[in-house]
Amino acid sequence: MATATDPATSSSSTGKRNATRRATAETMATKQRDIAVSEFFAKNKHLLGFDNPRKALLTTVKEAVDNSLDACEEAGIPPEIWVSIDATQSGRFRVSVQDNGPGIVKKQIPLIFGKLLYGSKFHRLRMSRGQQGIGISAAGMNGMLTTGKPVLIVSKLSPKKPLHYFELQIDTKKNQPEIINGKGEGIDIEPGEKGLQFIKGNKIAWENEYPISEQHPEPEEVASGTRVTIELAAVYKRGKGSVDEYLEQTAIANPHVTVHYKDPEGLSRSYHRSTLELPAEAKEIKPHPYGVELGRLMTMLAEDKGATLSGFLCDSFSCVSPSVAKTICDTAKLSPRTKAIKVGQSEADRLYHAIQETRIRPPATDCIVPIGEQLLLKGLKHVVPGTFYAAETRPPGVYRGNPFIVEVALAYGGAPQSQKVTRDALDELLTQSDIRSLRKFLIDAFQGIGGESADRILKEAKIPPRCSPAKLTNDQRAALHEALHEVSISEGQAMTVMRFANRVPLQFQAGACAITQSIINMNWRSYGLTQSRGSLPNGPIAVMVHIASVWVPFTSESKEAVANYPEIEKELRLGLQAVGRKLSMYLRCKQQVAEEEERRSIFLRYLKEVASSVSEIKGKDQQGLLERLQKVAIKRTSTADIKLDERGKKVEQTLEADDNVIIIAPPT
Amino acid sequence: MAKKRPNTEQEQPEVKLSKQDQKTLDNLCRLADTVIEAAERVRDPFLDIPSRSLSNVKFNRTKKFIEMGKNTNRRHLFNLSQAKAYMQTLLIGSGCTQLIKQGKTTSIRGLYYLLKHTIEGTKEETFNEQSESDPIIEDLEVLSSSLREELHLYADKKGEMVGPLTLIDNGDEIDCSRMGSGGYGIPSIVEPDRVQFKKCTAKFILHVEKNTVWQRFNEDKFWKKQNCILTHGGGQPPRGVRRMLHRLHNELELPVYCLLDNDPWGYYIYSVIKQGSINLAFESARMAIPEARYLGIRSIDFERCELSRNVTIRLNDNDRKRAVQIKKYPWFEGKKKWQQEIDKMLENDFKLEVEALVNRGISFVTETYVPDRLEDQDFLD
Repeated sequence: MATATDPATSSSSTGKRNATRRATAETMATKQRDIAVSEFFAKNKHLLGFDNPRKALLTTVKEAVDNSLDACEEAGIPPEIWVSIDATQSGRFRVSVQDNGPGIVKKQIPLIFGKLLYGSKFHRLRMSRGQQGIGISAAGMNGMLTTGKPVLIVSKLSPKKPLHYFELQIDTKKNQPEIINGKGEGIDIEPGEKGLQFIKGNKIAWENEYPISEQHPEPEEVASGTRVTIELAAVYKRGKGSVDEYLEQTAIANPHVTVHYKDPEGLSRSYHRSTLELPAEAKEIKPHPYGVELGRLMTMLAEDKGATLSGFLCDSFSCVSPSVAKTICDTAKLSPRTKAIKVGQSEADRLYHAIQETRIRPPATDCIVPIGEQLLLKGLKHVVPGTFYAAETRPPGVYRGNPFIVEVALAYGGAPQSQKVTRDALDELLTQSDIRSLRKFLIDAFQGIGGESADRILKEAKIPPRCSPAKLTNDQRAALHEALHEVSISEGQAMTVMRFANRVPLQFQAGACAITQSIINMNWRSYGLTQSRGSLPNGPIAVMVHIASVWVPFTSESKEAVANYPEIEKELRLGLQAVGRKLSMYLRCKQQVAEEEERRSIFLRYLKEVASSVSEIKGKDQQGLLERLQKVAIKRTSTADIKLDERGKKVEQTLEADDNVIIIAPPT
Repeated sequence: MAKKRPNTEQEQPEVKLSKQDQKTLDNLCRLADTVIEAAERVRDPFLDIPSRSLSNVKFNRTKKFIEMGKNTNRRHLFNLSQAKAYMQTLLIGSGCTQLIKQGKTTSIRGLYYLLKHTIEGTKEETFNEQSESDPIIEDLEVLSSSLREELHLYADKKGEMVGPLTLIDNGDEIDCSRMGSGGYGIPSIVEPDRVQFKKCTAKFILHVEKNTVWQRFNEDKFWKKQNCILTHGGGQPPRGVRRMLHRLHNELELPVYCLLDNDPWGYYIYSVIKQGSINLAFESARMAIPEARYLGIRSIDFERCELSRNVTIRLNDNDRKRAVQIKKYPWFEGKKKWQQEIDKMLENDFKLEVEALVNRGISFVTETYVPDRLEDQDFLD
């Protein structure tokens, strides 16, 4: 600490003798040093999605699953994922995620799981779930910080090779992995029966065989894969923003994935794949000139290895031909033959503006792999109940030089979640809840229940809305359970929105997301739904929106909301309108059928009277006439009939066959 | 259903059908045939009902009464808005068939009750109110070209008669000059097979609008003094009264004078007696009395009889509208005096009921007003 008595450092210009000098440049310099990225994120966990214990659990599962899926797809293996969460002690959970991917070579394991910002995805422009290489190592770090337990990794490259087993910790100060087991080297477990004995003996978690199912009728060894186990302080709760929801939505957006899930209560559930076909491999692309910022352009120029400016432009960017490069150079008043390294700052600035002014064709879009309308429908149908499904994949668009694709799918007519809940599940939800009012609990716990429906349910159950969920008596719970089933909420039911970016569900910050905003801003009334101003439309309807891009613009690192780019908003709007049109066609058909049925019932109602009157007058056979009249009535109201009997067919006549809709006739 | 069944099952065998009844039954059968035929050809059955509206009546200038035009309204079974009415039409048809076959007559209210039941498998009733069945009966009349009495139906009795007339009603001889203060209630069906005139010394008929006025005239023995028949129709005269007036006028050659309120409704009662009603234009030929005369009350009577302001009633919007409508009816349009009469009333902006003449003394109307008009032959045509 500097003191006021020290004349050398006291401020002489003001002349005030007792002015206090708290620190000097020199003393401050002693404290100035590098901040390891791991240290930064350890302090700012919320940036990565570890803001609260409940979300931490989800983020951990999510990062592990996303990595697994990316790895499997890159290796061309239909992904099979095991997720298990076990409560170890109060407030602590052990999350374990295994895939059947290619495995990780021994040398890379510590770096991938023990070093932040280490990975394969950051430096390339290619569509994948992960983007930065922070996720899984941050999850491990979070676990370590909250429980002190190391991250456990098992990786298998092939049935013949040894399994690698690591226990890792992250040195947050240095952003370096620390291997704890095997004297800092990790352990190799030999393949075969002996290795399995070792795994059992040391209680290492590992799934060695696929569960018996349709695809694996015989016991079959998992040939390769990686398992990561992280113990962390967390809270497990079902409902919105839960692990369960994430896995369910993942199954929708990834119909080629099978997930085996064991929750902390020991309940097991599996989402089986509906297709074996993997999404086409995404291509890696060079950046488009429009997407590059000045700083990045200068770095690229400086890194260039002695090519001419023209060559640099052609090689480093997509969509730049020598003639386009020449136009850019001409506009920037630079010679195409200038060495790229020698381009100075002001020249780079000119070059940057020249790029923006030059017409360059949009980037190739084959680097993006949409889910595809058929698979969207399959996935949605698999998980969301309904009577009508429609999907639309928009043609690729471009924002800031990054190609992207918007996909929208819609399910209509499913019974809301609240009507399927069992008494036990409801009890559990109620006990777990720390929400103060029962009304808010209903809105939060069940998708599709809005304020209005919640009020109606509570009125039916005769429970005051302010009642605390945890303090309900047994009778009240029974009444609530009954009310949930009794009250039809399809009218006041709000649309369920599922957002996806590169096949990853987005579960938080719905309000900040361009997808939600586009849905709210659209006028759904013209498609036959009800909607109040500035809110989601109502009805038994679920909409999923998927944005696929080489670089999805998120509003933050925790990847929870898509940013508003006008180009993206436009595609979202067009996609939503397309499924909206299909829905309104379906709703119209449905209404026509309903009206025709109503008509028919009225006619049939009077026919008996007519027939008996006629027979009274003529003294003729009443039954025969009645039957004939009924025949006429049915012929006259044939519209109702055609659709009633062959609803699918009839509707297909109105909706084009390639319009990608599925209609499920209600059970009669 | 449940209600009707027992009746049909009890059907008394061998009720002797008159020729007229047989004809009516044939007409009804033809209606039923359209349904059977349509059903056999898998077509939509329908009924073409002659339209009973102003647009479908013509004023026949030579016959001087209203005739029904040829417009029809098609009533479909398989039309959402017409299905029930179609069913009701045939139901009424079946009800009338029952009545004819059993040789019974009932009131239109009775028929309503006979046919009112819950439609099988629903909560809907065939008829909710009598006001639903009454117009359907009129539809059936025009549809089967049968009159109400031919369908064995009658309306509620309304209207009385007194005067030097002896008639035979259903075999009973009735002397209408000995009816006390009540008078002879004019039945709904007064066809010659039911009512025959035996003896009449009256010189004319005075038809007054309603019972209160008729009581005044009867009490004052006006009909004795003037040797006339005194009738009333309780406001708009029912078909029985009109048919009775028509028969008295044509068979006994008695002129008809009307004493009605000085308001649009009074004018229209006169119009119905004289030219027939728009709703029942198909019956004009046997009901209209083109020679009937309007005796009063006139718009000029306020001044002529020096009445007090107190007994006038201001016209309301409805009255004014109706007056303008009536003024435009073809059978009023060409008559200068009537145009003046209506204009005068509109100018007065009040109406006068017959009872208003009490202002000049209780029996002013019987002792002064009507005798004066008759003496002066002061009528509107």
